[in-house]
Amino acid sequence: MADEVVSPLRVAVADDALLLREGIQKVLEGGGVEVVAAVGTGDELLEVVRTNEVDVAVLDIRMPPSFRDEGIVALESLRATGSKIGVLLLSMYATPEYALRVMGAGSGTGYLLKERVSEPQTLVRAVETVADGGNVVDPEVVEQLVRRTRADDPLARLTDRERSVLELMAQGYSNGGIAQTLFLGLKTVETHVRSILQKLDLEESPEHHRRVLAVLTLLGAR
Amino acid sequence: MMAPGRKQRIVLRSAIIAGAVALSLAMEIAGYAATPVAERDEGSYIALHAMVPLVFAACAGVAWATGPAQLPARLMIAFVVLWIPQTIYRVIGDLGWFWPLVRGVDLGWAVVTGILVLVYPRGRLDGRFDRWIAGIALTATLINFLNVVLFAAPGPDTCACAPNVYQVADAPWLFETVDNAYRIIGVGLALAIAARLLVQWMRASVPARTVAFLMPVALFAWATTLAAQAVTYATATTADAVLRTISLIAIASVPVSFVAGISHARNMRARVADLMRITREGADRGLWAESLARTLRDASVRVYWWDEERAGYFDASGVAIEEIDTHGSHSVLPVASPLGVPIALIRHDRVLTDNMRLLDGVSSALRLSVDNGRLRSEVERTLEHVRQSRQRIVEAGVEARRRIERDLHDGAQQRLVSLGMGLRLAANRAAELGDERLAAALETAIDELAEGLRELRELAHGIHPSLLSAGGLALAVPELAGRCPVPIEIDVQAEGRLPEIVESTAYFAVAELLANVAKHSRATRGWVRAHIVDDELVLVVRDNGMGGASLDHGTGMLGIADRIDAVGGSLDLHSPAGAGTTVTLRIPLAHDPEHAPSSPSLVE
Repeated sequence: MADEVVSPLRVAVADDALLLREGIQKVLEGGGVEVVAAVGTGDELLEVVRTNEVDVAVLDIRMPPSFRDEGIVALESLRATGSKIGVLLLSMYATPEYALRVMGAGSGTGYLLKERVSEPQTLVRAVETVADGGNVVDPEVVEQLVRRTRADDPLARLTDRERSVLELMAQGYSNGGIAQTLFLGLKTVETHVRSILQKLDLEESPEHHRRVLAVLTLLGAR
Repeated sequence: MMAPGRKQRIVLRSAIIAGAVALSLAMEIAGYAATPVAERDEGSYIALHAMVPLVFAACAGVAWATGPAQLPARLMIAFVVLWIPQTIYRVIGDLGWFWPLVRGVDLGWAVVTGILVLVYPRGRLDGRFDRWIAGIALTATLINFLNVVLFAAPGPDTCACAPNVYQVADAPWLFETVDNAYRIIGVGLALAIAARLLVQWMRASVPARTVAFLMPVALFAWATTLAAQAVTYATATTADAVLRTISLIAIASVPVSFVAGISHARNMRARVADLMRITREGADRGLWAESLARTLRDASVRVYWWDEERAGYFDASGVAIEEIDTHGSHSVLPVASPLGVPIALIRHDRVLTDNMRLLDGVSSALRLSVDNGRLRSEVERTLEHVRQSRQRIVEAGVEARRRIERDLHDGAQQRLVSLGMGLRLAANRAAELGDERLAAALETAIDELAEGLRELRELAHGIHPSLLSAGGLALAVPELAGRCPVPIEIDVQAEGRLPEIVESTAYFAVAELLANVAKHSRATRGWVRAHIVDDELVLVVRDNGMGGASLDHGTGMLGIADRIDAVGGSLDLHSPAGAGTTVTLRIPLAHDPEHAPSSPSLVE
């Protein structure tokens, strides 16, 4: 914890709704994060990231000018210019297709429902995770994916415990995070993870975000 | 089936014709029998003479059968009765009260023939010239009749008969003068009629001449022989046998020409019916004028159409009408709608004016087809209007859904999220202050709010998924299928974005069809396939359920069909009982309401 006091995370926020922009700012600041800028569009955010030392960008997906997927477009252009800063996208809707696109942009990315601002710890932790190069996927998205019906349901082969582990994997948790959340030993989790990957025919990837993406893709596949 | 009235009429007419023929033959035979053998004419001449009224009688029958005009047939019957052989006086000569009456009308056949020619082809007297001629002829006939009855005495100019009981004075010079004058006037009138017909014929267009020539030629031949006869009569010499034979043939050809001409006009009317048929099929203007020329057998026919905008008449190629010389060989027939709105001018050969019924038929055909065309284009216009307004309504519906979703997103949803944040701060504060009950209550409120937000999210998504606006069908359809409890296999090959109205129409149709699959089909598998074929989005939604779906079973299928229809697409439902349901939707990518006719129609 001593590190954080020395250099708090520097975050830039972009949301066209002033109310939420300020709310997010307040929540983050309450969580010990320094908000260096709060802007209304993706372009402004890119400008802020270019001219400031920023660790994480927190972005609304739907922003002016077309109110479609400006946030993800901003993420993709950040990655295209080689920026490796953490990017956390916020959305009113839990859309698996967006989550896949966000994970597809690489490590240090996250996708959360906007209403998580009323769970300060979740939001702050997500910011910290993406700053560390981890990935975050909103549990609501994972739930939707798991709920999806399949003709040949690969999840049927999993035990209940494995299923819980898989859901946390999909949300972007590392093995350590899963162990912590489920009160299991790290070894146990690693065993579960191996078993899951084997049952679902997935390769263990050295890169964390590839694992998340693989799991999400599997869940989304039909 | 024949109407009783018509049958009666035919019987009556047949009786009249038979009676007239019998009378004529009786006169001929009686006269022949009463003539001493030495004084008889040649057999061939007598036979020819007897045949002339038979020709008239036959033509009367034809005229009655073909034309509605009664006058020509009646004139022909009158001719049969008035065709009195000169030998008749040998039979009735002893009847002093009778022969002068017969003698007074024994040239009536010539008058009747003249009037018959005058009423050709309309079946009535038209124009001042015709009425004058007829008036003069009838007046002269009346005077002649009185002259014969009151002054004729037995003699070489009349007959070797009993004394005339009506004779009031013995004035042979008066009788002879009037008698000769009557014949000369008759010849003059016959020549005038013949000349008029001839001039008319010479002016006529080639088609009109083909049949009409019979009449003036026959009449001219007859008038010539009549003149020759009048001269021989006046000079009291015996007429040449050849001349007399020609005369008979000429006279007999008059009714034949008459009925031939009428039949010709009748054929023309049949061609007007053809014209009607052609125009009903929506022929364009150029073709119509062509058909008209064919119908009227008049290549000089021109049709000029009324142009409301330019307030003038123009031909089919848009050339304005030139000054029509109505004094030349052409007449102009204006055609207007029943409300008096001008439709067209038909410039035609003047001779066609003689056939008003034909021209009436032509203008009716034109009027009808223009009316039809006008109605048709009105219906098409109305339909197009409805089609467009329906599309606008559908588009407005889509737009409204999008706006509601956006209002929810930017308004209620943001506020409630913000509220959640506020509640969270309050709950944390309450916990900090040690008010556990307040903190718990606030936690409950936060949970409630989260549930409310979740429901609102689903609602807004159902109204218009933001994913559709952002990612099109390629993203939105798989997401939609993911929500369906029946496993759905997806194949969306719609690269790039489609027009918004196409995307949203397709999306909501698939949404409803998948809802049907889930609710009604009892299917265990489903398939959604979307691909672009030419300029159409083709969507196939299929399931392996029980089938038997129809457009009127309250499954919303009709509503889908309506919306697809509104954007110019089509819905095809194939759902045999027990064999699954396949719905194929085709939506044009560029809805083009224009489908203008390829040729200019009769109506602009």
